[in-house]
Amino acid sequence: MQNPDDLILIDRFKSGDASAFGEIVLKYQDKIYNLCRHMLGNAHDAEDASQDVFLKAFQALSKFQPEASLYTWLYRVATNTCIDRRRKPVFESLFGGSEEGERLVHDRASDAPSPERLYQSKQLDRTLQESLGKLSPKLRTVIVLKEIEELSYEEIADTLEISMGTVKSRIARAREELQILMKKFREQNP
Amino acid sequence: MSCPKTELISAYLDEEVGPGEKTRFETHLQGCSSCTHTLAELRSLRMAFSNAERHPAPYGFATRVIARTAGLEKKKATWFAPYFVGFAEAAVLLIVITVGILAGRVMTNGSPATTATNMASSLSLELFDATPPGSLGGAYLAMTEVRNEK
Repeated sequence: MQNPDDLILIDRFKSGDASAFGEIVLKYQDKIYNLCRHMLGNAHDAEDASQDVFLKAFQALSKFQPEASLYTWLYRVATNTCIDRRRKPVFESLFGGSEEGERLVHDRASDAPSPERLYQSKQLDRTLQESLGKLSPKLRTVIVLKEIEELSYEEIADTLEISMGTVKSRIARAREELQILMKKFREQNP
Repeated sequence: MSCPKTELISAYLDEEVGPGEKTRFETHLQGCSSCTHTLAELRSLRMAFSNAERHPAPYGFATRVIARTAGLEKKKATWFAPYFVGFAEAAVLLIVITVGILAGRVMTNGSPATTATNMASSLSLELFDATPPGSLGGAYLAMTEVRNEK
């Protein structure tokens, strides 16, 4: 369903108000960047992909149909951009991205948990990210949209233009494969 | 009810099953350690996701995007610019020629026929003396013309 605020922003953009696009970027930049970050696994690629998403949006927004939800549309552009971009055989881990990109991300962290908690959390996150990177693009996309972006099955189906049944089966398969991959990763990295 | 596929347990975790299916599965779950274990593992995976780091867009991200869109706008403008400049030049040239013709007509204050006659006479050699006035050449030519007339 279309967000009324988004409709206003789109109308403003279409009528030539350049600031409306800036507001769209500010509104969705964290969601899109986070999605790309989990899809691609490192800060540098995530930044490039996220920028590409908004540039594609900028060029296509004038033809945007109000029947579609803006964030669903942006997620669709983002997942396609990440899948296209991620043709590399090796998935860069959470800590494998460019130093500059990582610094940009970690500079934003304001609250500091205890070192032990932080270590455990990082280890779990690393296990998850490494395993996520080994999933096929189709499975990775649905599980990231479900667990990271917290979309419903219907929203995922709309975003990826697939049936609800396909969403349901892909999510289940993604979970099964992730469990196996995470177990394997823990055994290899005790 | 026999053990359902993982697909249904996964959908149950996501609260994406119908009320009838939900009730049947919950009844089954009470007496099935295998499904209870599967569900617990899926919950554990969900916990891992919920603990996963969320990544806000880096500082200055929006500014960088906007800067790149400005480049796109420029590209849009420059795409047709050479054609536009060429067209404008041709239009200016045409206007200058037209204004020149009209101004000429106004200054000569004549109809097109008069203008044509004036133009023809202006190009005629009769306007000019063949020789400088009072010269020997002029006297010679005058004598020759008189002889020819005779």
